[in-house]
Amino acid sequence: MKAHGINAASITYDSREILSNFADTYKIEFPMLSDAGSKVIRAFGIFNTNIPEDHKMMYGMAWPGDYLLTPDGIVRDKLFLRSYEHRPSASEVVLKHFDGAGANSVEIKSGVVNATVSLSTDRCFPGQELGLAVDLRVDPGWHIYGRPLPSNYQAVDLTFESPLIDYQLLELPAPQPLLLPALGETLPVYGGELKAHGKLAIKWSPPMPAPFLLALGKVIEPGVYEIAGTLRFQACSDDVCEPPQEIKFALPLTIEAGVPPAPKKAA
Amino acid sequence: MEAQRRAEVLHSIIRKMGAGGKGIDTAEWVDFVEAQNDGFRTGPEIGAKVPDFTLPDQFGNQRSLHDLTGPNGLLLVFSRSADW
Repeated sequence: MKAHGINAASITYDSREILSNFADTYKIEFPMLSDAGSKVIRAFGIFNTNIPEDHKMMYGMAWPGDYLLTPDGIVRDKLFLRSYEHRPSASEVVLKHFDGAGANSVEIKSGVVNATVSLSTDRCFPGQELGLAVDLRVDPGWHIYGRPLPSNYQAVDLTFESPLIDYQLLELPAPQPLLLPALGETLPVYGGELKAHGKLAIKWSPPMPAPFLLALGKVIEPGVYEIAGTLRFQACSDDVCEPPQEIKFALPLTIEAGVPPAPKKAA
Repeated sequence: MEAQRRAEVLHSIIRKMGAGGKGIDTAEWVDFVEAQNDGFRTGPEIGAKVPDFTLPDQFGNQRSLHDLTGPNGLLLVFSRSADW
């Protein structure tokens, strides 16, 4: 994010001592702001009103989420994931708003199509949502297809297949209608360069092997994984169509162990 | 979820976690999560200006939005807690 000129900061209702302890333990370099009393959390309108006042541990906390702010304090984007199992990754929001390949990308070349597929990061925790970016360049004189499409053509499609993935979404821009005289049909196509963004969420992993948590999901062991995917498309020129293509690719992803509470220092 | 049930499950789970996590069943855990997320609000909308603030950081320095931001902006993350 520094390369893009974006700073980061966190806010919680914890005391400065708690934040100092956490920051020391995990070598946190960004500012962790103490909103003890939750004045700023309330000002933002995200004070969790479900927690009873007599709840010693949780009263005062915010509903968690991220804001990407302009230097003037205007909300440029926000990521609040209602599901407790998922948290946005900082890299996801940066990838969405800043050009260029993500930190973790692979080049695919097939005939008249060159593609760069990127994830916003090459390391994450279970449960995190990552950013996804695709940049497809089609040679001049050729086009590939969008949707909706008759079944005898292959629309462009990028899908990740991995047991680690909880959900994924890729938002393709609207294709342009093109009259194809040889076929006598008007079909939705992409030509030139196609850029799309999306997201991919890694499944949640129980933070500890308690039976009530194991019933909700399988443990994902920390380690380096390969996230496999398939890019499908069909390229046609004015006169001729290539056969539909199915290109397999993979991106590495290091899944880290979840972070336990920082050990309390002796008084 | 009804307010009384919310308070009940929020207290009960924390008590049980404090006692080592015995006796928590999955249904109660799911309720515990739901109890926190009921009526989930997400704050200022895209395009809105966020409230100005000044807060101490982990070193005790007072930080304002103005001095926290980078040349292209700030990623401001609200977490639940660094303590648990």
